Amino acid sequence: MSATPTLKTLKGQSSGEQKEIQMKNGLLGSIIAMAAGVAIVSLVSVPIAGQGGQPAPAQEGRGGRGAAGGRGGAPAGPPAGPVKRLPDGKPDLNGYWAGGPGGLANIRTAITEVGGQPAPQNPAERIPYQPAAAAKAEANQKNMFEEPELHCFLSGVPSQTYRQFGFQIIQTPGYMLTVNEFMGAVRHIPTDGRPHIPENIKLFNGDSVGHWEGDTLVVETTNNNDRTWLDNYGNAHSDALIVLEKWTPVDANNIQYEATLTDPKTYTAPFKIAGTYRRAQLNDPTYEQMEFACIEGNQDIHHYTEAAGGKAKEAPLAHPPGTEVAPGAGRGGRGRGGAGGPPQGPPRQ
Amino acid sequence: MRDRLLLLIFAAAAIAAAAVLPTPTAGQARSTAQMPDLQGIWQVSDTSLAYNVEPHTATYGVPAGQGAIADTPNKMIPYLPAAAARRQDNFKNRAALDPINQCFKPGVPRITYLHFPFQIIQTPTQVTFVYEYIHNTRNIYLNRKEHLDGLDFWNGDSIGRYEGNTLVVDAADFNDQTWLDASGNHHSEALKVQERYTRTDPNTITYEVTLTDPKVYSRPWKMSMLLYRHREPNFRILEYECHAYAEDAERAK
Repeated sequence: MSATPTLKTLKGQSSGEQKEIQMKNGLLGSIIAMAAGVAIVSLVSVPIAGQGGQPAPAQEGRGGRGAAGGRGGAPAGPPAGPVKRLPDGKPDLNGYWAGGPGGLANIRTAITEVGGQPAPQNPAERIPYQPAAAAKAEANQKNMFEEPELHCFLSGVPSQTYRQFGFQIIQTPGYMLTVNEFMGAVRHIPTDGRPHIPENIKLFNGDSVGHWEGDTLVVETTNNNDRTWLDNYGNAHSDALIVLEKWTPVDANNIQYEATLTDPKTYTAPFKIAGTYRRAQLNDPTYEQMEFACIEGNQDIHHYTEAAGGKAKEAPLAHPPGTEVAPGAGRGGRGRGGAGGPPQGPPRQ
Repeated sequence: MRDRLLLLIFAAAAIAAAAVLPTPTAGQARSTAQMPDLQGIWQVSDTSLAYNVEPHTATYGVPAGQGAIADTPNKMIPYLPAAAARRQDNFKNRAALDPINQCFKPGVPRITYLHFPFQIIQTPTQVTFVYEYIHNTRNIYLNRKEHLDGLDFWNGDSIGRYEGNTLVVDAADFNDQTWLDASGNHHSEALKVQERYTRTDPNTITYEVTLTDPKVYSRPWKMSMLLYRHREPNFRILEYECHAYAEDAERAK
């Protein structure tokens, strides 16, 4: 497709992406997090003029990795009022949310428990891989052409929920939807007591069924295919994965979130990730998600050389003479930021 | 004394009326109890429309159909001459040119009558359409009155309101990259679409859509079709991640 830039900026539109301060888990992290909480919320709320979002122009194959991701969980916002409720008394989670367990860059940073015990101090030991699966994850790190998002695939559960740009919860009695600006991805979470779909249907975002236990929404996701990663680092899973999430709103603006991942074909034990989702865009009542046209404007995928698993004969020049491109230009809605090549430098812990 | 009594009676009546007949004040969102209920999973039953919205004979793999056009004498799209020629060219080269063959976003109204179900979810501030076709989503904003300036979208920018029992959606800010069907019927970036969703019985929505595009059509024209509720037990929107399967097919070669 020709790369005629059609993306224009929406004046005054706040960006969906927020900067997360990288924090280690632990007491020091909590203290710093609380102190920084106000500053972070201010950052989140300030409308960012221009495209915002991904730092790399959409056409650049070697842009930086787009997701801010996180180390440890996102700090909770300032104290808010009591949990909002629907007329039937259930928590009302309608609105825009962001944050979560982090772990987008590397899910190890979000793991809190392994096999029911506190997670090992050393992040390298946190994913209880079976040997063959560990080898596959290592291979993925060197084969970034296989990153699912490069191919405009849905991200799967749970990482769909902590992808960049946040998500909207649309909740009615008996049904909940999460909609991400990233990929325009959707998770269907019926809460009407229905059973799972038959087991030989495999979905990118799985089949979720939810029910309330008090104020906690418990969601079980089965029927996952094996084509998604848990993060941008190559940590993957099989189609035997089952995810059990617990969403517990603790006040009007914060949801405590945890997800237990069980996959007997990949892991020797279940492990848990946890964090806090907080309401986003509170200072911008006009905020709306933008359309995300991924496959329509996907330039990155053509820039991967054969050495990196792609098809390009040689790396393209960043800007061949006469082809200067406006940053962030893409066709249709928000272009996809650079997935770049393999991660630079040592993995972030 | 009598005036005061009348005043009291009027006041009491007003209070009573407000309690019994809640109506949204201007600018206030209706509660979901006050909206026409369009929620559920729906699908067009006339499969011929996805191929061609105009009346057409069958061809191999394509069923015949009377089309959906409601308000032109011959039930055909009122193209301007140059646009009519382009349509013929599109048809001849549709295998290469149809954006859906690259798994692109289908645009509006084509997205409504693809061979896939979609779900309507309503809150006080927006109506969300979730289509099984590559998880396309349309948020119809009920609180915004003007279209976004200076942007273009594959599926347009939709703002909506209720008129009695009808959800009226005004969509604009389209790009020129989508078609109306698989036969090359097309539009420009000047396209404006008005949709009207009216539930005429518990399991049927009448869908009317008016297309205006002075660069392509000699006048506005309207399509009308029926949406049927999916009532199979536990029916749900599944996934059609077209580009994933296209890649698989490519790799298998």
